[in-house]
Amino acid sequence: MKIKIGILLAVLLGSVLVVLAFGQYEMQVVENYYFPNPQRPPAVFEHDRHNETAELWDCMICHHVYDEQGVQSDWESSEDQACADCHGLEDQGGMPGLRKAFHQSCKGCHLTERKGPVTCAECHVKP
Amino acid sequence: MEENQKPNHEKLDEGIDFGVSRLTPEKIEAAINAVFNRETGARFRAYVETCIHCGLCADACHFYLSRDKDPRFSPAGKVKQTVWPMLKAKGKVDAEMIRQAARIAHTECNLCKRCAIYCPFGIDIAYLMSMVRRVIHKLGATPLYLQDTAHSHAATMNQMWVKGDEWIDTLQWQEEEARAEFPSLRIPLEVEGADIMYSVIAPEPKFQAQLIYQMAAIMHTAGVRWTMPATMGWDNSDMAMFSGDNEIMGRIKRAHFDTAARLRVKRIVMGECGHAFRSVYDMGNRWLGWARPPIPIVHAIEFYYELLKSGRLRIARKYEKPVTLHDPCNVSRGAGLHEMARYVADQICEQVVEMHPNREYNYCCAAGGGVINCGPPFKNTRVLGNKIKAEQLFDAKSRGAQTMIAPCHNCHSGLHDIVHHYEVGLEIKFFGDIIYECMEKE
Amino acid sequence: MHALYEWVAGPLTWVAFAVFVIGLVFRLVQVLVMVRKTEPFIFTYMSWKFSLRSIGRWLVPFATLRWRTSPVMTVATFAFHLCLLVTPVFVLSHIVLWDEAWGVQWWALPDAVADVMTVVVIAGCLFFAGRRIVRREVRFLTDASDYFLLALTAAPFVTGFLAYHQVTQGAGMTIAHMISGQVLLAAIPFTRLRHMLLGWLTRAYMGSEFGGVRRARDY
Repeated sequence: MKIKIGILLAVLLGSVLVVLAFGQYEMQVVENYYFPNPQRPPAVFEHDRHNETAELWDCMICHHVYDEQGVQSDWESSEDQACADCHGLEDQGGMPGLRKAFHQSCKGCHLTERKGPVTCAECHVKP
Repeated sequence: MEENQKPNHEKLDEGIDFGVSRLTPEKIEAAINAVFNRETGARFRAYVETCIHCGLCADACHFYLSRDKDPRFSPAGKVKQTVWPMLKAKGKVDAEMIRQAARIAHTECNLCKRCAIYCPFGIDIAYLMSMVRRVIHKLGATPLYLQDTAHSHAATMNQMWVKGDEWIDTLQWQEEEARAEFPSLRIPLEVEGADIMYSVIAPEPKFQAQLIYQMAAIMHTAGVRWTMPATMGWDNSDMAMFSGDNEIMGRIKRAHFDTAARLRVKRIVMGECGHAFRSVYDMGNRWLGWARPPIPIVHAIEFYYELLKSGRLRIARKYEKPVTLHDPCNVSRGAGLHEMARYVADQICEQVVEMHPNREYNYCCAAGGGVINCGPPFKNTRVLGNKIKAEQLFDAKSRGAQTMIAPCHNCHSGLHDIVHHYEVGLEIKFFGDIIYECMEKE
Repeated sequence: MHALYEWVAGPLTWVAFAVFVIGLVFRLVQVLVMVRKTEPFIFTYMSWKFSLRSIGRWLVPFATLRWRTSPVMTVATFAFHLCLLVTPVFVLSHIVLWDEAWGVQWWALPDAVADVMTVVVIAGCLFFAGRRIVRREVRFLTDASDYFLLALTAAPFVTGFLAYHQVTQGAGMTIAHMISGQVLLAAIPFTRLRHMLLGWLTRAYMGSEFGGVRRARDY
């Protein structure tokens, strides 16, 4: 009986941990710890909910890969990388710095699609 | 807005009231637009359009400070009551408005320009007031006494209807008097090629002839090669400058410069007068198209400074009573002679007690700018309107001053009235009085 | 909302800046042409040395008699004008927009500092408004246009403050902020806010007169 309870507890604990772990994995905000001295709260971005709402299935729209000539690859995507792996803090040639890249991706698309937030406060929501 | 708009039908001044009684809306509109649209330009516009109505000019004005800080007497407050409505209505204002504008511009502003150094934008409210006076002049509503003075200028080229022979008689009379004290003294008339032409204002020959005597004694003692004209052009004063009669102002100044040119003098030295200095050194020359006076103008303060500094004039015994020095607007704020004035005062007096404020910041006497020349109807305006001056003088007196030096005729007379009314108890002197009294007379 | 935002952030901003710049240039040319036509002697008296002496003095708090004798006003007006001019140019969110539009960027104020400076501007407007009510000599000079100008000036800062602190939901406050800023910019050449341009000229002329002709201090 004691063993059964022990197994049950272990399973429960394990499930909680797994749920917690997956919960963390589900993206809530665009992390801003790359920026040395961020002035605004991180932009709210619930990845899965955003993509479902936006019916956005093509990962390459955001997780893009450009070659040296600045041509976007039509088959390769970059979900396995962090944005900051390529985008530095400053612009580099045709590649926008991280801040500008985020703003252009989000706001640029929202304006084109006529959907979603475009002003500072709508994304950088104060906690 | 609150307390000012009561129509005032009591008599103001014979000249103003009579002039105003003859006005028609068409005349008013034409005069205002002629001055504001055609005679003035960028400066006038910029001053009116830049003013942000901050009121920082108020504390500059002796009228405002003396009238319990009544905003109607603040510099911008006076613009609000004169220029603003005229501009806003594009000249379509009524005769009563012109009457009040004449009172404000002619008798409640001395054009002393103290407010110009209080305004963060350097807006020249004195200039705006003189443009209002110009409108009043064109409408023939100038205060009677001032207009009479301007008429005198126009008819005789001097301020006090002094006739040609009277002028020469007075000089010869003073020469004769002085020869009792200095046997070889001359008041040289019409000496072509002299170093200096000495010019005075008409009140000197008219009723202050001893000032001519004193200057003759100083010239004689210092061995100056000087002369005075026997023709018109001897008077350097210019009340037309303050009545808005620029054309007459120009004629008077031209006569003055022409006379000096005819006598081929190197420089013009003028007596202890402020407004005359302003008219020759600043206003009249510009009206005639000279950026600077065509012949160098030396105010008495600078002249005494030169004589004392070079040792041509020596002081036998310094004036003993402690003195305080009143800086007239037109020679300190108007021409930067205040440090020279202090040098002279220190050279001739045992002790100089500064009044506060002083130098460029000194309060006006409330007589200048033609206000005292508006005569008896406005004596109270300027005396009651300068309580602050009395307080300033009481303060200097409390620190020991017994005599006040006022190197300007207008200041002299205005301060005399203030000292008398408020019973300040200061003796008032010109530099020349003390220099004459204390100099070595060989 | 997106169309409105794009229109306000795009063409309307261009229009506002164009009116502001062209308006001020027009005013400047207008003044200079007028001087040349009606008062060319002014150029005779203008002196760089004395103009700069005067402007320099007046740009330093307590360096002139007037600043020394009105300390509260001096502190208020300097704090107000400094924050009014510096905040919009160096606030981060504006720089982000310029960077995204033209790829230019410069040093930015920390948001917390910009926030305080915004409050200073708003407080300055309230101080000036209060002064107009309380002080008799200022009240006498005041009419509706003075309060209007203060409101016009305060509006972009109030809306900016509210947008930053997310007092309201959505894009509305930010759009109100942009429009009020554009109205303010465009109004400058046509209201007494043009003291922003003319004030330098009148100061320079008075400085030149006092320095060159009067040989006296104008400060």
